[in-house]
Amino acid sequence: MLAGVGLEAQEPAAVQFQLDGSTALAPRIGERIELLPVLRLLGAEVAFSPAAGTYGVQLGEHAIQFSPDRQYLLVDGRLEDAGEKPIASPGGVAASLHFLERSLLAPLGFRLEPADAGFLVVTGARAVRIVDVRPVVADFATTTTLVLTLSEQVKVELVQGERKLTFRMTEAEPRLDTSLSLRSERVKDMASRGSELIITLSRGVGLLSWHQLDDPPRLTIELGKERAGPPPTRQEAVEQVAVAVVIDPGHGGSDQGAVASSGQLEKDLVLQIARRLAATLESRGYTVRLTRNGDEERALTDRTAVANRRNARAFISLHANSSKVAAVRGAETYYMSLDKSATDAAAAATARAENEPSGVPVASSPLNLILWDLAQAEVLNESARLALGIQNHLNNHLGLRDRGVKQAPFVVLTGATMPAALVEVGFVSNPDEEQLLRDASHQQLLAEAIALGVQEFLAGS
Amino acid sequence: MKRRVLWIAAAAAASVALLSLLVVMALRTPARKAAETPTMTPVVPTPAPEQRVILLFAGVDDLLHPELRSVPYPAEVGERARIVVSELAAGPRGGLHPVFPYSVQVRGVFVDGRGQAFVDLDPPSEPLTGSSTELLMTYAVVNSILLNCPELDTVQLLFGGREVKTLAGHLDLSRPLSLNKGFIATS
Repeated sequence: MLAGVGLEAQEPAAVQFQLDGSTALAPRIGERIELLPVLRLLGAEVAFSPAAGTYGVQLGEHAIQFSPDRQYLLVDGRLEDAGEKPIASPGGVAASLHFLERSLLAPLGFRLEPADAGFLVVTGARAVRIVDVRPVVADFATTTTLVLTLSEQVKVELVQGERKLTFRMTEAEPRLDTSLSLRSERVKDMASRGSELIITLSRGVGLLSWHQLDDPPRLTIELGKERAGPPPTRQEAVEQVAVAVVIDPGHGGSDQGAVASSGQLEKDLVLQIARRLAATLESRGYTVRLTRNGDEERALTDRTAVANRRNARAFISLHANSSKVAAVRGAETYYMSLDKSATDAAAAATARAENEPSGVPVASSPLNLILWDLAQAEVLNESARLALGIQNHLNNHLGLRDRGVKQAPFVVLTGATMPAALVEVGFVSNPDEEQLLRDASHQQLLAEAIALGVQEFLAGS
Repeated sequence: MKRRVLWIAAAAAASVALLSLLVVMALRTPARKAAETPTMTPVVPTPAPEQRVILLFAGVDDLLHPELRSVPYPAEVGERARIVVSELAAGPRGGLHPVFPYSVQVRGVFVDGRGQAFVDLDPPSEPLTGSSTELLMTYAVVNSILLNCPELDTVQLLFGGREVKTLAGHLDLSRPLSLNKGFIATS
């Protein structure tokens, strides 16, 4: 056991570290501390190469090379970005406690821990990886989706307490990104402590499901009204709700969508095509779920919530188009746009939010919605690949001139945590195309084209 | 004693006379200023020079096409943005199609100090349908303003003075939008 004591002078001149009864004093250099006394306390061999300007640290099977004024270092042969530069100092080299812990101690099998009295303690441990965790939260009408994007994949287990979810990482420590404002009516607080990430829920809120996903490594957590019975485990949740594709027939209920001059309604046409697409994909072994399978009204945000909750691998929203220009025709595919203004606005809004009193209504907060775009940002390249694949097959099947795919901030795609695309199957305002869209064989042609695009995407992901 | 009283009486009379003079002058000063106003040279606004603006209207390919139009071109960016939107609302003069699916009134156009324009339009009397309608109308306004006002970065559409989530159930209008060239025809 190694303990370090911060000297509580007016201006502490040094930090004292202890390891199994031995002590070392690391003088402070401004915000930094001298590194060499700590490394020697560990029993590491430290050598400086004047020719290369680098320090070599050897302890057991581990070897680290680093240099003053360089933020990259070699750890057991791997190049790592420390995110900050150590500096040359009177004692040799100095850096922050964060650099010492993350870039030197952790690879050598040690870590710093706060002691009861608030002093630093270094304990011998297995090498601990620091995993950055970026949280994004979105409140929907009855549920909340929380996405925790991890800098690398780690083994995670969940321990549930009363209004508390504790995600425990194996041989890794979460480091929560607190630069993003996190406001949710169902998540009260989130914090990382040691190997644990602790989420405190609001009163009456419980865990509905959670999943661990790859590309990028992330945890998706679905919260809602607390319910009786055993809490869901990750395995049960995946077995119950694993769905490859969620298909969203646009509009529904009192929202009719576009209306053709013949009286044909967009909401009915897209439901017919969605059912054909679902049947086509299911016949090829895919699991499919529709956001509506009848003439039901669905809030736009709840449509992606279905896909998030069901752990879908792709989300396809189907629509039929309408234009005042009767000659316009053709099918098109869109995916979400995240332009610079949105990210700039998010940064500005985050700064503003820091100065605002708490209790701002979450659902109406533009900050919340802008930040939520970041969920789709994580998979934007995949969304582009999905949209391109679908459009290519639509072009081939329907003999369309390739106009590529377009990007725009569609409400229904906002908040999808998986690759998502919106397909406009054609214009009901064009009498010829409207007649085609009602035709069963044309509907099947559209379903086949979209299914091929989805299949190609799923096979390649 | 008598002489002292006379001095006091004389000083009091002089004070009253001085006070009366000051009051009269104070009352007369504004009248004199008002009388001077008509003699000042009136300030006549300098007419904005004519310049060609780029206006985007719909083509039969469901994309936006440019129409160049000579209009007064004020240096003040908010006024320039207002002229662009008014010209868009007036509709195309060539072979292109209108981007507003209803007879729209421009309630106001204003810019903030951070490169963002707000365009306040009358809301449609009936719900709009079709993402094409929503996309072309929105990006005709956003792109036309940003092409003619390079000082601006984003445009947000308001309807009836309010922020709306969406008009036809597709596009998210509750946010400022930046230039989107995907909807402008390249040929």
